[in-house]
Amino acid sequence: MEVISMIVNDEFGVMQRVMGEFTRKKINVETIVVGKCEIVGKARIVLSVKERKQAEQAVERLGRLQDVVQVEIVDETRHEAYALVANSFGKARLIGSLEEVGSLIDTTKPDRFVKTVNAL
Amino acid sequence: MRGSEVLINVLRDEGVNVVFGYPGGAMLPLYDDLRCADVRHILVRHEQCAAHMADGFARVLKRPGVCMATSGAGATNLVTGIATAFLDSSPVIALTGQVPTGIIGNDAFQEADIFSLMIPITKHNFRIMNSATLSNDLRSAFSIAMTGRYGPVQVDLPRDILTCDVSSPIEGRKIPTNGTREDLTELPQAVQLLESAERPLILVGGGAVWSGCGPNIIQLAEMIASPVATTLMGKSAVSEDHPLVLGMVGMHGRRVANYALEECDVLLAIGTRFSDRMIGEPASCRTKVIHIDIDTGELGKNVRPTVALGGDAGRVIRTIISTIRSKKGGAWTERMSLLKKECACNLDLPDNPIKPQKVIYELSKHLPDDAIVTTEVGQCQMFAAHYFEATGKRQFITPGGLGTMGFGLPAAIGAKVAAPDRCVVDVAGDGSLLMVCQEMATAVEEDIPVFICLLNNGRLGMIRQLQNQFYGKRLFAEDLGSSPDFVKLAEAFGVRSARAKDPKDLESVIEEGITSDRPFLADVWIDREEEVLPMTMRAESGTRVIAGKCAWKGVC
Repeated sequence: MEVISMIVNDEFGVMQRVMGEFTRKKINVETIVVGKCEIVGKARIVLSVKERKQAEQAVERLGRLQDVVQVEIVDETRHEAYALVANSFGKARLIGSLEEVGSLIDTTKPDRFVKTVNAL
Repeated sequence: MRGSEVLINVLRDEGVNVVFGYPGGAMLPLYDDLRCADVRHILVRHEQCAAHMADGFARVLKRPGVCMATSGAGATNLVTGIATAFLDSSPVIALTGQVPTGIIGNDAFQEADIFSLMIPITKHNFRIMNSATLSNDLRSAFSIAMTGRYGPVQVDLPRDILTCDVSSPIEGRKIPTNGTREDLTELPQAVQLLESAERPLILVGGGAVWSGCGPNIIQLAEMIASPVATTLMGKSAVSEDHPLVLGMVGMHGRRVANYALEECDVLLAIGTRFSDRMIGEPASCRTKVIHIDIDTGELGKNVRPTVALGGDAGRVIRTIISTIRSKKGGAWTERMSLLKKECACNLDLPDNPIKPQKVIYELSKHLPDDAIVTTEVGQCQMFAAHYFEATGKRQFITPGGLGTMGFGLPAAIGAKVAAPDRCVVDVAGDGSLLMVCQEMATAVEEDIPVFICLLNNGRLGMIRQLQNQFYGKRLFAEDLGSSPDFVKLAEAFGVRSARAKDPKDLESVIEEGITSDRPFLADVWIDREEEVLPMTMRAESGTRVIAGKCAWKGVC
C-alpha cells in the first residue's frame, strides 16, 4: 500500500481534477480521506493506491495540476488506519496500524465496515 | 465597467489582436462589445476550426491563440481542437459562453458542463462564478498557458458575468505551478556521457520547436560531431539540408534516421515524449539516454533515461555548450553521412498517375525558404513528414499527438493570419479536407490566401494501407468514391482551383497555388495504389521493416 498526501485549493472541481489523473493512468484509488486543513482556503487529500509505480505515476501527473499546492508519497512509518465497524450489538471505531486494524476486522467479522488509510 | 469590457481589456493587455470565434446567445454580450474593440474577429464556420486556427496561430508566433464559442454545442465543438492543442503543447486560450450562474446545473437551453468536459484536455480551466475574479482569472489563464510546458487553458464565462458591473476586482494573479523545476544536477554526467560517446545521436522533439532552439542544437551537434534526427513534432526545428541532419525517425520515418536510433550508443533526446509511433515499444530502446524536457513528468514516463535534465530545451542546450569539449567526427559521423546520401532517393518521379512523393517533391522544390506547411492526417501527413524538405526557415505544423483529421486547413488559416507574408500550404487528403471544407468560406470572406494542396486518391489511404498490410487485404470502409468534385466545391466557395491529373500539369498547378493571392486549391489526382512506405515497427524482440520500393540497404 502506498499513501499519497497533498494540499489542494479548496474549490469546486478540484476533486474531479485530482481523480481525473488517476482515471487517466487507470489507477484504482483504494482509500481516500479529504477535509479542510490547517491552511485557510486549502484542503488535504490523503489517498492510497496498491503499488509504488502507480503512486509515482500519479505524483508526476498531480504535480502538473494548478490546484495542487504540494504532493508527496508518505513514508510507511506515518501510515495510520481507521475503521468504523458495525454489527447487531452496535458500532465501534478502530484505530491503529494497517495490520492491526486489518486483523481486528478479520477476527471480529463486522456486518458492515469502512476502512481507510490516513497519514500526516 | 461591464464584464465583457474587462475581458476585452485583458485581451488588449495580453497583446491579443485577433480572435477566432463563432457567436451564440450566451456570448452575445461579449460580441456586442467586441464589435467596437480593436480586436480582429475571424468568423469561422465551425467552432472546432476556431480552436485549430488559434492553434496554428500559436504554433507560428509561439504566443497564445484565442478562440471563442458559445455555451453548449458551441463549446463542445471546441473539444477536439483543444485536445489537439493539449497533446501538442500549444498555448490556446478557449473562451466559452455559459448560461447565467443562477441556472447552471438546471439543464438550461444550450447548457453543457463544459468545465468538466475540458478538465482532462486542458492545462487548467476556470469557471468564473464571481465577476470580481474575472480580470484576475483571465490573466492567470494567459500566464498558465505560457509557463513551463505550454498548453491550452479554457475560461467558462456565464452570461451574467459578462453583463454585470465589475466594481471592485480582486487583484493578485494565480501563480502558475507547472510541474517544472529546472534541474541540472545531472548536467556533468550528461556532458561526460556525450564526450565519451562513440556513436552519439541527437533526437529533436516538439519541445525544441516551441523553444526555438534549433540553431543551438546544430551548434552542439557540430561541436560533438553528432548526427541529428527529429521526431514528427520536431520536424523543421533544424534545417534538413544540414549535413548532420538525418530526417525524421519513427514508424513512417527515414531508414537512415531509424538506423541511427538503433545503432547509437548515447541518445540526447530533447523535448520529446518518446511516443509509441516514434519509439515503438519503449523496451526496444537499449541505448543510454540523456533526456531533456521542460516537463519533468515526461522524464522516465516512457523510456527510463540514464541522465535526466529538467528545463527549457534552449537553456539546457546552451548550458551544455558552455561546458562541453569539442571533438572531431570519426567513423560514425562519416558512415552516417554516407548512409544519408544513400537514403536520399530520387522523388522526381515521372509516373502517370501522379505519385504523391512527386507532389511533395515539387512543394519542396518550389516553396519559399520561409514557407509554412500544415498537414491533415493519414497518408498525406506521412508523405509530407517523410519526404518534405523542411529546410531553412520553413515550418512544419502537424497534429502529431491527437492525429486530428481536418486540422490542416484551419491551422493553415490560423498560420496565415499569424504570418500574412509567408506562404502557407495545407498538404491535405480528400478524407480530411471534407471534414473541414466549410472553412474555405472563412478563407474567402476574410481574405486569407492559403494554398490547399490536395492529394486526392478518393480513398482513406491510410486505412486502406493498414487493411492491406495488417488485415489480410480485407478492404472495408476505405473507399470514398468520386464525390465531391473538389474543383467545383472550391469554386462554389469562391476558392480558385485547378486540377492536375497528368504529371506534366503538376508543376504549373503548384506554382499557381504558391503565387496565388487568393485562397487556392490544387486538386491533384494521385496514384490510388501508392502506400506510405517504408514502415518501421520497433519492438523489444527486434525491428521489422516493410520496405516497399525503398532500396536502402544500410551498408557502405
